[in-house]
Amino acid sequence: MRKLLLLVFLFICSQEIFAAGGAACGDYGECDTFKPELNNMESLQLGALTFINHCYGCHSLKYSRWGRIAEDLEIPENIFTDNLVFGASVKLGDRMTGSMKPAVSETWFGIAPPDLTLVTRLHGSDWVYTYLRTFYEDSSKPYGVNNMVYPGAAMPNVLASMQGQQILSCKDVPIIASNGGVRRDELGNDVTEEKCGYLKTIEGSGALSVKEFDEVIFNLVNFMTYIGEPSRANRERMGWYVILFFIVFTALSYLLFREYQKDYH
Amino acid sequence: MTQESSGFFNWINNRLPIVNTFERHLSKHPVPKKVNFWYMFGALASVVLIIQIISGIWLMFGYENTEEGAFSSIEFIMRDIEYGWIIRYMHTTGASMFFAVVYLHMFRGLLYGSYQKPRELVWIFGMAIYLAMMAEGFLGYVLPYGQMSYWGAQVIISLFGAIPYIGESLEIWIRGDYYISGATISRFFALHVVALPLILIALVFMHLIALHEVGAGNPEGVDIEKHVDEDGVPLDSVPFFPYKVLNALVAIGIFGIVFSVIMFFFPEGGGYMIELANFEEANPLITPEHIAPVWYYSPYYAMLRAVPDKLGGLIVMAAAIAILFVVPWLDRSKAASIRYKGILSKIAMTIFVISWLMLAWLGTVPVTALRTNLSIIGTVIYFAFFLLMPIYTSIEKTKPVPERL
Repeated sequence: MRKLLLLVFLFICSQEIFAAGGAACGDYGECDTFKPELNNMESLQLGALTFINHCYGCHSLKYSRWGRIAEDLEIPENIFTDNLVFGASVKLGDRMTGSMKPAVSETWFGIAPPDLTLVTRLHGSDWVYTYLRTFYEDSSKPYGVNNMVYPGAAMPNVLASMQGQQILSCKDVPIIASNGGVRRDELGNDVTEEKCGYLKTIEGSGALSVKEFDEVIFNLVNFMTYIGEPSRANRERMGWYVILFFIVFTALSYLLFREYQKDYH
Repeated sequence: MTQESSGFFNWINNRLPIVNTFERHLSKHPVPKKVNFWYMFGALASVVLIIQIISGIWLMFGYENTEEGAFSSIEFIMRDIEYGWIIRYMHTTGASMFFAVVYLHMFRGLLYGSYQKPRELVWIFGMAIYLAMMAEGFLGYVLPYGQMSYWGAQVIISLFGAIPYIGESLEIWIRGDYYISGATISRFFALHVVALPLILIALVFMHLIALHEVGAGNPEGVDIEKHVDEDGVPLDSVPFFPYKVLNALVAIGIFGIVFSVIMFFFPEGGGYMIELANFEEANPLITPEHIAPVWYYSPYYAMLRAVPDKLGGLIVMAAAIAILFVVPWLDRSKAASIRYKGILSKIAMTIFVISWLMLAWLGTVPVTALRTNLSIIGTVIYFAFFLLMPIYTSIEKTKPVPERL
């Protein structure tokens, strides 16, 4: 009974207790969900292409090696070297240490762009996926853009030419009454109020549609999830066999145990 | 086996007591015939110890104990060493599972009064193992030199600074430097891979020798030594080998399933086993927003934070561990097992478990006023459970303990 009372007490408290943490994706609220597809080679290859063409100029992947990507992503070495590896002195066994010297970039950006090998493990793929899609125009910032997930981010919106102009806009949203439903006036119409801080892309201002751009970012974050832990797909595949082994092991040892137990029962 | 019989094996056995040892500790070692699943965690703890030692040795092949190299050497193991990721995840999952099985093993002790006479020393050696594990786990957590390694170490080492007079010098002595640096990593490495494992193995050995001297307990709290056959073997016992080995095999199988599910599918344990901030290299200039220990220290971390004064917090935390050592003398009950103890013990145990779990959770989340109050309540309950034990175990009415198992 006391246990029950305590549980009820904890449950009542829980709402206040759990409410304390801020939303995971800053001003954006909860992050958009990202479900990686680590066996989708086409997506990973396209992601690698986007990364090396648009991100690698500033961000290194220093714990990863060139050749590992070619091998894991099933890209033939000659195609990989010709199209993705810039610099004649780079060998496939080299680490991807980036093309900018940190000391120089620090004077340019105020802060050296971080290495991104582990960024999806540090912040989560959801976070990165949301972050890359929530830049908006803000003339008060040095690069003319700000970010909803990471306000004040020192990074320009590198993919703006694809995405186009994204701005913060306002719209009418229904007011939620204290009973949890939508508040209505005497005539039964929903009562709305104007709320701001919604992202809106100006149609036709970028090379890609919203859907196409989301796909580019999906592939990119898919690649970044892969690079965070290149063995992950292999790990999840192997896991099933190991678990299967232990199930068989448990079953056999249980049968043996039951047989021997007859001796003393 | 007779002295006259010949052969290589006998030559050895006459000089090294193989047969005697095997019989005494395995084939003829009597164990209670009826035990439940709670009695499996000791065997599982030794399995995890072996996993940790073997995976640890393999990790050392690739690990670099320097300030510059520590973090990237972990990624080297994860990426460039063939199946290095298996070794690493085995070790990180093993650390958490070690604590999980040891906590369950300790809880079994509390539940069935395993510490009661004549098993006091078994319990004390066990507690010493737990203490050594806490140190071992902490030292190991610093080695990958991620943000949480650095700042966690900062918090824990600075606790020693709260000790009056010697505090500051003690901090420098532990770090080997004025701040956490390469000197700290290399000494923590030496302690983690040599000193503490030696101590742990020695303590486990003593734990087992003491246990085999007095015999294992059982969930009924029956003294099986009271009824023995003409050879002095308890009637309610079976030989450890093969009967109890088979029990252990089933347990190991189930444990293997749980272990693999975590290791292969949730190696980060939702950030409770490998904290996500540790995927960033240690940076002395940036403090993480929220410093939290891994889950197995969190109840004691919650107690530390419940006390506003640093030295006070340290004392409370140390006392919380120290009090466990004297449990055999706090329990005055005539019955060992919770099954035959009175209602007061049952209520106390229930509240204790709930408050311990609450503290474990509170230790992992950022503080708020309400959470601090809950931590204080939890800490008071924790100490009350032990300090009031001599009273509630002696005034309550126990049920009669049966003669036979």
